[in-house]
Amino acid sequence: MRNSQPESPVSSISTRLPAAHAPAQLTQLFESLRPDLLRFAHWLARDRAIAEDIVQESLLRAWRSRDALKEPGAARAWLLTIVRREHARLYERKRLELVPLEEVVETQASPRLAEPDGDLFTLHHAIMRLPLEYREPLVLQVVGGFSTEEIARELALTPTAVLTRLFRARNKLRVICGMAAAPDADGQGKGEGEGEGEGAA
Amino acid sequence: MRCEEARLQIGAEPGRADPALEQHLQLCAACRQFREEMRTLDANIRRVLEGPPEPAAVGAGAAVRLRPRIRPPAWRQWALAASVTLATFAVLALWLLRPGETLARDVVAHVRDEPESWLAAQHVDAASIDAALRGAGVELKVTSDKITYAHSCWFRGHYVPHLVVQTARGPVTVLILRHEAVSRRYEFHEGGMTGVIVPDGTGSLALLARGAGNIDDIAGQMQQDVRWLPQGT
Repeated sequence: MRNSQPESPVSSISTRLPAAHAPAQLTQLFESLRPDLLRFAHWLARDRAIAEDIVQESLLRAWRSRDALKEPGAARAWLLTIVRREHARLYERKRLELVPLEEVVETQASPRLAEPDGDLFTLHHAIMRLPLEYREPLVLQVVGGFSTEEIARELALTPTAVLTRLFRARNKLRVICGMAAAPDADGQGKGEGEGEGEGAA
Repeated sequence: MRCEEARLQIGAEPGRADPALEQHLQLCAACRQFREEMRTLDANIRRVLEGPPEPAAVGAGAAVRLRPRIRPPAWRQWALAASVTLATFAVLALWLLRPGETLARDVVAHVRDEPESWLAAQHVDAASIDAALRGAGVELKVTSDKITYAHSCWFRGHYVPHLVVQTARGPVTVLILRHEAVSRRYEFHEGGMTGVIVPDGTGSLALLARGAGNIDDIAGQMQQDVRWLPQGT
């Protein structure tokens, strides 16, 4: 079940995909989903170059495991899951290098930033500044179209913990956008409190 | 359902319609208001997330961020090297398999380098023609009054006869290329000029004329007029 199933470019492919026998079709399918994957990875990693690497590695992994994909309609969710895991793997395995933020801003700033678009710009900043533990389920839900249960499985959390994180993510954004914070489910007020009572699923 | 539960559900899934939630909302104006606000916020969140993030949005508050040191996998470097090698071979193969094209370009470039060759109106004397042909190992049966330009030019590593023959369609350049063997006729058009390279003897003849049209008849005539002498003659 999906909260909101995004329109998928693979929906037109109704036939069962014999992955091992249709490399051209599979390649076309992967390529059609690449923009979605890149956007998803970009929101997770907050860096386009890293996002591109993640997507490239993910597509490679997906290609190697293409036999696991039985239905073209499931490709998007399957690939998004691979991207998320690749992103997580990146932070688990790779050495991390400290980079001054000024360098990043200087090298990647775009003209659009010079003319912020009011609330959306504020919201944009706010989402980017959300800690990964809140940003990740939010992006999975909104960009990936995953249900709470699916996010819970993917993040190895209980559904309640996912609901709490999603609530807190939006509550933080709400506060940043100038609205009053809703009381936390645990009665922690401003939505800044931790200890959401979550546990590994 | 308590307000806290309702707000948790609304905050987590603003678009969800749950019977218990709806029942609570009928009785609680504050939660109804909260849902409206959250749905508006969620619509904006979706708008933002539909586009790519801007890197500067990480925020001025952060002093540093973590960037993974990503090295391309070894297979990529090998793949890149293999691609470059393959591309080099492909270009080389194309160059070798399509000699007519590269030869044609050189012919055009050479004629462009000698624009005065087509301006000459007076025929050249027999001695000049002999000088142009000297060393090329050919004899020419064309009468000298039709030739308005005759030089021995350095072309692709050899001195070759460069002639301009006056024809009914105007001046036509002829390069006698003993060292440029071609397997078949090759016609080309470039820069408002028409050319043809035809196999002849042990090499080829390259002809170039102004404008469009067919110069095969002239090429055929030249093939008859050029006599190839044995090598070393």
